[in-house]
Amino acid sequence: MAELPQAVRGFGVTFATIFKKVVTEQYPEQAAKFPPKPRYHGRHQLNRWADGLEKCIGCELCAWACPADAIFVQGADNQEGDRHSPGERYGRVYQINYLRCIFCGLCIEACPTRALTMTNEFELADNNRADLIYEKQDLLTPLLPGMLAPPHEMVPGTTDTDYYANKITGAVPEQAVQVDAEQVAP
Amino acid sequence: MTITSDAGSDLTPQVEMVTVVVDGVAIEIPKGTLVIRAAELLGIEIPRFCDHPLLEPVAACRMCLVDIEGVPKPQPACAQVVSEGMQVRTQLTSPVARDAQEGVMEFLLLNHPLDCPVCDKGGECPLQNQAMTAGRPESRFDEVKRTFPKPINVSAQILLDRERCVSCARCTRFAEQIAGDPMLELLERGANQQVGTAVDQPFDSYFSGNTVQICPVGALTSAAYRFRSRPFDLVSVPTTCEHCASGCSLRTDHRRGTVTRRLAWDEPAVNEEWNCDKGRFAFTYQEQGRVTTPLIREDGQLRVASWPEALDFAARGLSAASSHGVLVGGRSTVEDSYAYARFARVALKTDNIDFRVRDSSDEEAQFLRSAVAGTAVRTTYETLEQAPVVLLIAFEPEDESPIVFLRLRKAARGGTRVYAVGPVATRGLAKLSGTLIPAKPGAEPAVLAELAEQVRAELQAPGAVIMVGERIAGIQGGATAVLQLAQATGAALTWVPRRAGERGALDAGALAGLLPGGRPLTEDSARAAVAAAWGVDSLPATVGLAGAELLAAARDGAIGALITGGVELGDLADQSLGRAGLEAAGFVVALENHHSAITELADVVFPVAVVTEKAGTFMNWEGRPRPFAQTFKDALVMSDAVVLGMLAKAMNIAVGASDVAGIRQELGALGAWTGPRAERPNVPAGPVAEGAHLVATWRALIDNGVMQEGEPYLAATAHLVAATVSATTAGALGNPESVTVTGPLGSVTVPLEIGAVIDGVVCLPLNSPGCVLYRDLGVRSGQAVTIKGAL
Amino acid sequence: MGLEEALPSGVLLTTVEKVAGYARKGSLWPATFGLACCAIEMMASGGARYDLARFGMEVFRASPRQADLMIVAGRVSQKMAPVLRQVYDQMPGPKWVLAMGVCASSGGMFNNYAIVQGVDHVVPVDIYLPGCPPRPEMLIDAILKLHDQIQDTKLGVNRKAEIRALESAALTAPATLEMKGLLR
Repeated sequence: MAELPQAVRGFGVTFATIFKKVVTEQYPEQAAKFPPKPRYHGRHQLNRWADGLEKCIGCELCAWACPADAIFVQGADNQEGDRHSPGERYGRVYQINYLRCIFCGLCIEACPTRALTMTNEFELADNNRADLIYEKQDLLTPLLPGMLAPPHEMVPGTTDTDYYANKITGAVPEQAVQVDAEQVAP
Repeated sequence: MTITSDAGSDLTPQVEMVTVVVDGVAIEIPKGTLVIRAAELLGIEIPRFCDHPLLEPVAACRMCLVDIEGVPKPQPACAQVVSEGMQVRTQLTSPVARDAQEGVMEFLLLNHPLDCPVCDKGGECPLQNQAMTAGRPESRFDEVKRTFPKPINVSAQILLDRERCVSCARCTRFAEQIAGDPMLELLERGANQQVGTAVDQPFDSYFSGNTVQICPVGALTSAAYRFRSRPFDLVSVPTTCEHCASGCSLRTDHRRGTVTRRLAWDEPAVNEEWNCDKGRFAFTYQEQGRVTTPLIREDGQLRVASWPEALDFAARGLSAASSHGVLVGGRSTVEDSYAYARFARVALKTDNIDFRVRDSSDEEAQFLRSAVAGTAVRTTYETLEQAPVVLLIAFEPEDESPIVFLRLRKAARGGTRVYAVGPVATRGLAKLSGTLIPAKPGAEPAVLAELAEQVRAELQAPGAVIMVGERIAGIQGGATAVLQLAQATGAALTWVPRRAGERGALDAGALAGLLPGGRPLTEDSARAAVAAAWGVDSLPATVGLAGAELLAAARDGAIGALITGGVELGDLADQSLGRAGLEAAGFVVALENHHSAITELADVVFPVAVVTEKAGTFMNWEGRPRPFAQTFKDALVMSDAVVLGMLAKAMNIAVGASDVAGIRQELGALGAWTGPRAERPNVPAGPVAEGAHLVATWRALIDNGVMQEGEPYLAATAHLVAATVSATTAGALGNPESVTVTGPLGSVTVPLEIGAVIDGVVCLPLNSPGCVLYRDLGVRSGQAVTIKGAL
Repeated sequence: MGLEEALPSGVLLTTVEKVAGYARKGSLWPATFGLACCAIEMMASGGARYDLARFGMEVFRASPRQADLMIVAGRVSQKMAPVLRQVYDQMPGPKWVLAMGVCASSGGMFNNYAIVQGVDHVVPVDIYLPGCPPRPEMLIDAILKLHDQIQDTKLGVNRKAEIRALESAALTAPATLEMKGLLR
C-alpha cells in the first residue's frame, strides 16, 4: 500500500467512511431520537399543586438569585374569591427574559415551594425581543386531569401548610362549584 | 439610626462625664447615657429590637442583655444607664451575655411563623439578621406554634400580622410618645400578648406609616406596599418630600421605572426619622394622567405636536403679545421658580409674576417682601424645640405642616407652651397641650392687638417664636398685626407656607416686586446687580401685578399672554375669576405634568417633569435648602427650567443657564440681599363678617389634593369630614346628626360634630371629599354661611 | 383555474418571490463572527455531528463579501461594535443577522458599560437565539426559523410596502425607556 500515490490514499479515507456508522444527528427530522439529557436546563415552567392552584407565592427569591437579572416578579394578595395560590401571597406578574437568562438554574434552587422548575424544551429562537419575554401564562404548566384553573379556594378544610406538606391529592367537587359559579357570574 | 442630637449641650456645657469600660475598652461619655449607646460609640453592636434612639427605653424585647460586673444577672443595655467605672461585657466577650441573647432569640422565634418568603420585611428584617448573628442555628421547639388570623387591619392602610410580632412596643410607643395618637396598645398577657386597637377606633393617625418603618419584624405592613417588591430588588435614592414645606428627607425606592415606596430618611435637623403618611404614600399621582407630548391648540382643539413646532408656536404667541403674566404654582423647585422669575423679567420684560396661586392679598405680598424673602435663617426645628413659648396664628400644624407638629409636640413634652390664635382648639392643639386664644375668623388682628399681658410677657422671653401660616393672607390686617406683635415682643416671626415650593419661589424672586435673594425691585442698586448677573441692560422697574389683580387684569383683557407652571385652578378661592382670566388672556402657555383644567384652557401645553424625573431643591419653611437628586436618571421628561430655556431660545433671547447646577451657581453668585428691604404692610384690621355662622376652614392633610390621587388606602385614613361646632351652637340647631351648610354657590351635607369651637363658628375642611368649600359653597374662611339640620 | 389546467403535466407554477426565497434560503453562507464561547458551539454545528451542510451552509466565509448571514456568536464589546458594523456593511445584500446567545441578543448577564446591550443596537437582527451558549440544535433551530422568514420575504413593490409598514409600526412603538418591567 505504501507505493500507492498520495492522492489515492486520501480517497481511501473517504471510501472507508462509507462503511462507518453515520455520526450526524438528523436534527430536526429525527429530533426525537436525540433528546437532551434529562437534567438539561431548558425553558422554565411554573408548577401547580394537585388541585390546580399555583405553587408560586411571588416571593421573588428567584429574581434575587438570578445572576443575569432576567426574572421579574411582582406579588399580590390572594383576595377572598380571587385565590391563585395557597397562603397569603401569589405571583401576580411573572416574567422571564430569555434574552438574559443563562439557564444556570439558580432560580430553581432558590424557589422555596418548588414552583419553578426547568423543562427540556430548547427551541426558543424568535425574531423579536418582546416575544422572548415569557409571561406567567406562557410559563405555567397546563392543567392536568384533576386540576382546576385558578382562581378558586383551597380544598375545604385544609390550610396552606397542608399544601406545602403535599397532602393535597386533587381538586374536590366543592372547588369546581366555585369555579363554575365564577364563570357563570359575568 | 439617629444618634439623638443632644441639643441642650451647647446651652449647658457643664456635662458630667463618666468613664465606662465596654469589652475592655474604656470610654468617657456623658452621665446618663445608655449602655447600648456607649457600645455604639465604640463600634460594638448589641442586638436589639425595642430600642430606638428617639423613643423612651422600655426594655421589652430583652434582646440586648449584657453582662455588667457586680450585677448578678444580665441586664438590658437599652435601659441601663452608665455609671462611673462600670464594666460592661457584651456578647463579644462574655459567654453569659451570649447565652442570654441566644436564649432570648430562641424564645422570640418560638411563636414566629418563619414565613420570610412571603413577608414584606424579608431582606431588611432585624429579626432575620439578628437570628443569624445572635441566634442558635437549631430550634429545640417542636410543639404547635401559636397562630392568629392574619393579617388584620388596624387602619385602612396599616395591616397587622400578630404572629410575627415580637412585642417590642415600638409602634405603641411611637403612637403615644411621638405622634400623640395612642390608638395602638399592647393587649392581653403572656403568650397571647398582641398589639391591637380599640374596636371602634382604627389607627387613623397621620403618622401611621412610621410604625411600619420602625417595626423590627414584618408585623406591621402597609396596604399600599404589601407584596409589591422585595428590598433587595429596589434602588434607593435620597430625595426630599414635595408635599409640604416641612422639607422631609425621604428615601425613594424604585425598580424598573416605577416608584414602589417611600420611607422617611434620617435627617436629625429636620424630620429626625419620621414623616407623615401623605409624604410616605402619596406618590402614585406621578404616573397618572400625565401630559406626554407637547400639545398646541388648533381650531379650538388641542393636538399633539412635535417639540420644535410647539416651541415655535409658543414663541410666536408670546412675542406677539404686548403684555404678559406668569403664574407659578407653589409646587416648583427653587431652580424652576428662579427660571420662571428670570424668564418673566428677561424674556417677557414684565414683572407680572406670582407664585401664590391661592387665596392671597397685597398685604401678604408686602409682608413676604419685607419680612420673609431672603432673610437669614432664624427659627429652625432645633430652636423650635427649645423655644419657651410658641404662638400659632392662622396655622394648624398637624394638617398644614405635620413635621412642624411633631417637633412642636416634642417641644411641648419638654415644657414649651403653645398658644394658638383662632376659632378652633384643634385636635392637634390638644396634643400639643396648647391653649386657644379665641378669635372669631377675621378678628385675629384685633385679638393680637389686645393680647393678654401674660402672653405678651411670655413672648418677650428669648427664643419665643411666632408661627404664621399661609392662611394669614385671607385675614385683612393679619400680617400687619403679626408684624407689630413680633416687633413689640421681639419674638422670632416665621412664615410657614403649606406647599413645598412657596418659600423657595419667594427667595427665587417669583413674586412681583421681588428679585432673587429678597431684593426689592424698587431698589435701583438691587435691580442693577441682578440685570448685570442676567446680562441684560435693564429690568422692569415698576412693581407688576400679582395675585387676584393679575387674574383680574387678564379677565379684563389687559394681559396678552400668560405662562402657567404647575397651577391648579381648584386652589383659587375665586375659581370663576381664575377661569375667566385664563379664558380671556390672549395666549396661554402651560407647563404641566398632568392634564387638568389648565391644560383644557391653554393654547400650548408642554410636558414637564415631576420630582422623580428631575433634580432640584425645595426650600422648607426654615429657609433651609433641601436639595434632592433625580430618581430616574434616564427619564426623558425635562424640568420647567429646561423647557423655559428652550422657549427663550425659540424667541431668540438668551436667559442663561437652565440646568440645575448652572442655576444653583447663578443663585449662589447673587447671594442674599443685605440692603434696605421693602416697606412693611400697614393695613388696618378688616371687619368681622356678620352672620350667625362664620366658616373656619383649612385644608386637611389627607384630602382631595391632586397629588394624592390614585392612593385609595391613604384616602381611607383621612379624618372624618364633618362640620364641627360648639355644643351651644349644636343645641341651637337642635343637635341633628348631620347638617346642610349653604353658601352663595350651593350647599353640602356633612355630619355634625361637637368640638372645641367658639360659638357662632362652624369648622369645615376646605377641600375634602364631599366638602369642597371653594367649589361647592363659594365661601372662604371668615365668611358667613347658613346651617340647617339635615333630615 | 385557467393557466394551470392548460399547462402540460410536470410543470409547476409558483411566484417569483417563492422561487427567490427558496434559492436564498437554500444557499446561506455565514460569515465567521465568533466572539466568545458561543463560537465554540457554532463551530460544533459546522462539524460532522450536526453538519450545517445539510442546509446548504457548508462554508463559513472569512470574507464578508462572500457571505450573506452573520451569526454574531458571543458578547459584543463596545470596541468590537464598529468592527461588527463594518463587516455587516461589507456584506452584499440581501443579508441577514442571527444574534446567537443571550450576550449578542441583549447583553445577557453582562449588564455593564463594556458590553453592547444587544447587537440590535448596531445592526438589524433578524432572529434572536437565547441560550448561554445555545446548543447546536438550538442554532440549527434558529437557522431553520430564519429559513422560513427568508422563504416568505417579499420582492419589489411588495417588499417596499412591507418595509413601510414595519417602519411605521416601529415609529409608533414605545421607546425602551418608556417601558416598564423586563422590557426596559
